[in-house]
Amino acid sequence: MSTEKVKEAIAKVLPDVETVICWQGGFDAIHATPCFVSSPEQIDKVIWSPLCAQNLASYLPSMKKKVGIVVKGCDSRTIVQYMQEGLIDREKVVIIGIPCTGVVSVKKILKEIGHEAVLDASFDGSGSITVRTPKGEKTLAIADVCPDKCRTCQYPTPLVYDHLAGDPITSDKPKESVYQDIREFDAKTLEERKAYWEKELDRCIRCYACRNACPMCVCQDSCIAETREPHWISQKLSLQEKFMFHMIHALHLAGRCVECGECDRVCPMDIPVSKMKKKINAEMKELFNYETGVNPDDKPPMFTFNVDEVKIKEHKL
Amino acid sequence: MSVVAEKELRVVGFLCNWCSYGGADTAGVARFKQPTDLRIIRVPCSGRVDPLFVVKALLTGADGVLVSGCHPRDCHYTDGNFYARRRLEMLKRLLPFIGIDERRFHYTWVSASEGQKWQQVVAGFTNRLHQLGPLHAKKENEG
Amino acid sequence: MRVGVFICHCGNNIAGTVDVAKVAAETRKLPGVVYATNYMYTCSEPGQEEIKQAIQKENLDRVVVAACSPRMHENTFRKTVEKAGLNRYFFEMANIREHISWIGEDKELNTNKAIEAVKMAVAKVMNDKPLYSSSFKVNKRVMVIGGGVAGMQAALDCADGGLDVVLVEKSPSIGGMMARLDKTFPTIDCSICILGPKMVDVAQHEKIKLYAYSEIEEIKGYVGNYQVKIRKKATYVDWTKCTGCGACMEKCPTRNAYDHFNFGVAPTRAINIPFPQAIPKKAKIDPTFCRQFTKGKCGVCAKICPTGAINYEMEDEIVTEDIGAIVVATGYGLFDLDKFPEYGAGRYPDVITGIQYERILNASGPTSGHILRPSDQTEPKTVVFVSCAGSRDKSLGVPYCSNFCCMYIAKQAILTKDHVPDSQSYVFYMDIRSPGKGYDEFTRRAQEDYGVKYIRGRVSRIYPKGKKMVVRGADTLLGTQVEIEADLVVLATAVISAPGAANMAEKLHISYDTFGFYVESHPKLRPVETNTSGVFLAGACQGPKDIPASVGQGSAAASKVLSLFSKDMLESDPAIAQVNINACVGCLKCVKTCPFQAIKEEVLRSGKKVAKVIETVCAGCGVCTSTCPCGAIQLQHFTDNQLLAEVNAICQS
Repeated sequence: MSTEKVKEAIAKVLPDVETVICWQGGFDAIHATPCFVSSPEQIDKVIWSPLCAQNLASYLPSMKKKVGIVVKGCDSRTIVQYMQEGLIDREKVVIIGIPCTGVVSVKKILKEIGHEAVLDASFDGSGSITVRTPKGEKTLAIADVCPDKCRTCQYPTPLVYDHLAGDPITSDKPKESVYQDIREFDAKTLEERKAYWEKELDRCIRCYACRNACPMCVCQDSCIAETREPHWISQKLSLQEKFMFHMIHALHLAGRCVECGECDRVCPMDIPVSKMKKKINAEMKELFNYETGVNPDDKPPMFTFNVDEVKIKEHKL
Repeated sequence: MSVVAEKELRVVGFLCNWCSYGGADTAGVARFKQPTDLRIIRVPCSGRVDPLFVVKALLTGADGVLVSGCHPRDCHYTDGNFYARRRLEMLKRLLPFIGIDERRFHYTWVSASEGQKWQQVVAGFTNRLHQLGPLHAKKENEG
Repeated sequence: MRVGVFICHCGNNIAGTVDVAKVAAETRKLPGVVYATNYMYTCSEPGQEEIKQAIQKENLDRVVVAACSPRMHENTFRKTVEKAGLNRYFFEMANIREHISWIGEDKELNTNKAIEAVKMAVAKVMNDKPLYSSSFKVNKRVMVIGGGVAGMQAALDCADGGLDVVLVEKSPSIGGMMARLDKTFPTIDCSICILGPKMVDVAQHEKIKLYAYSEIEEIKGYVGNYQVKIRKKATYVDWTKCTGCGACMEKCPTRNAYDHFNFGVAPTRAINIPFPQAIPKKAKIDPTFCRQFTKGKCGVCAKICPTGAINYEMEDEIVTEDIGAIVVATGYGLFDLDKFPEYGAGRYPDVITGIQYERILNASGPTSGHILRPSDQTEPKTVVFVSCAGSRDKSLGVPYCSNFCCMYIAKQAILTKDHVPDSQSYVFYMDIRSPGKGYDEFTRRAQEDYGVKYIRGRVSRIYPKGKKMVVRGADTLLGTQVEIEADLVVLATAVISAPGAANMAEKLHISYDTFGFYVESHPKLRPVETNTSGVFLAGACQGPKDIPASVGQGSAAASKVLSLFSKDMLESDPAIAQVNINACVGCLKCVKTCPFQAIKEEVLRSGKKVAKVIETVCAGCGVCTSTCPCGAIQLQHFTDNQLLAEVNAICQS
């Protein structure tokens, strides 16, 4: 796993495509930012490291011409889901896959370093990051500052790719761990759960960053959170309206959320936005044995049905 | 004032035109007595019921929501209730996660000839809600 | 917006348990409402006149009527407002009768609920948009499913009216149950003698295309434009060559095939023509018995057939017919003896069903019309009839009356006496139900002229004793136990829905009740229509009924088809899905979920991909609307905003 291999792959792909979507360094040493490489001389600025957390696949549906893209295992689920939903033309995407052992959460690092300005950061290759700030240096294990999704990652190697920059790796995390947090939350009392969401969602400022970052939110400018035709919610900043917005987001992603965690990553208020979607995913798995973004031939469960639903029992009064 | 305070709860029902709305009519024609809490919204098909309507109702004042359509395989529109079944089951499993008792939401199938079943559904669901009590704190102008 | 609200008393039906004046008074306070009144009968002519006048005088642009179910009178009032110059979709109904006044006992609660219902309707009507129908061409061909007497009548009436008819019958011959009957009540005229000519008319009518031994595979489309796939089941006999000579049947070595036409009274051959008057009179092989199929060798019929019609390799064939309307006349089924363990559950050969006895009485039946009991082919001297074998029995799932058993039992008892003059018949009955013309006189004749003994009571057990069957029951009029040693027992088994009735209903998108009988559009006023426009009912598929009622319904259904087809163009329902191309993001999830394939992808000149609704195919279910994440595809008249207005009217006040 190295930047060089990624660069090599990009160089190989570039003649065949309009642009290659990848990462470059950001405004400081712990941020990466997307970049579009359209000519060989631009390849130099490309980076690949645990800073490359963004899910670049989100760009694909808006691409008109044939493009290349660099994806991690988790990002590849977005592509698979797009294929299921017919949102991209696979022929027009060249996928460079990267086997990934985990990325870092900038939010978590900042918390660890007390939100000091970052002067420099480096990875030592053995799973830790050293961040230098005006207050000194701090070495953090990536495992401690990774996004939650990495802790239960089942697909470190992309599920779909044309070129693989590195050798495939398999997950060492137990399958059962994926929805453990959901089941723990399920075990709380109704009142606890209600109080939890009221507290979390009350912070929402309806900036819609979660929606805008979501690769599966296809509506974008047509989002019904902001329309009057139909008029589902008002612009009032009440808990009720915030709750409704998040329910719209969750239900529109029912059986579609690829668990990339972009919504959590971008939320300025640190709301666990992905949690409701993950809950629905857990139920989709149980009801229909469906997992998002894994098999391009699957059908998203809300857009299909079985005449006899084995797992859905009639509810009695 | 939406409901008669102390006596009624707010119950919203989405009924498909061809089966359940007809079943409610049949129950009426047969004078099958029912609690009065339910307010019925007629939709062409249970497949028209976006789960968001249920959420909207529960978040904004309803104490319970009922959706009723044609029996599976007997949908006037062939497949509408098959989609409804998946969506509504998904919702039923999500509601407790956000702190709403799933018993406040019920979906079922009642045909146009099942007046008696309709009576049982309305009575059963309304009674259940009365046992659970109101979902929302009383508004000031109420009671 | 100027909304007018009209609250109907419906005599005392509503006003009895709802304070209609208070509803009107509260309604006047609602925003948008400029006029509200209550009236004795809003649906009456003066009631409708009042609406029209109010629209003019008060300059109303929306109307709400709070009265009975919209399923009853929505159309009536839509026409009223249209006559007064409003778009027919600027109208809503609040159902304060079926859903309120008839079911709630507390007047205060009812009144409040009625106010709420009006509030919801007002909220909805204020979000209504004008909609306009377009017209489409009608394919004036009708398909009749089922070739019993009801279906034949419908087919003949339609054909005589000039329509092309496709008649589909699942068994090898038309004729249905009536073709199996010996005589008919209350006239005792020969069933096949009156039915036979009709069957010939069907066969010879140039407007009728008959598919015998065929079943409906799939129905697509909508009123005026259905595409129906018909499965022509393999008969293993080329019917274009078969002359119906019967040589194959005579020489067939397999003599133990089940005789479906005779309800298994006696066996038949593996290749057979079901009965002498069969139409079409063609042979058919039953592969479950034919040695060529079970053992792989025989071929006798192929050798004997003078026209070389036998084809053991024949396969089912699917044909497609384009038609504009459908008459469903799929008939009924009967309970099997196995439902009655107390009567031997079919183990005693001399306990038979009414329809089996019918075949024994019939001159073209297995006994050539001589009454011979199945066990030893002797003439029975004591015959016991048991009515309501399953009917009116909740525990067997048949709480209803089978309609015609009382009458056919009387007929069979009379015929028994005719055939065997020294015989004595007994009838165990619950009630004698004979309300038709000449019917009660007929049952009296059985008792008074033919000495049939009627015993009011149920039979608890039937068991063999030597060559006799002991029928033990109660005589509830005398209050005693009765035991009759009978030579033959005939059970009037319950009429049930035809096998596969539910499956057929699903193909047709029509409703069926708990028992599998098809549901008519209105139990009194629309008895042959269904809720699916273009599909009509005839005969016992809708519920047990006798021959005159079935024939009457066959004609009624035909007249409905003829009046439907009297126009060249039909008006479409404009309450269908519509795409807002500005909001549509082209994700095309609606295309995936539409049950009718009514949505396709369209590429605009700008290159933008959007969904497009095929107007004639859209049936208006709204699955697309609840699928679309951005609210771009809206089912007209049931848009998100219209339904939200109703939700808000209930929840946010």
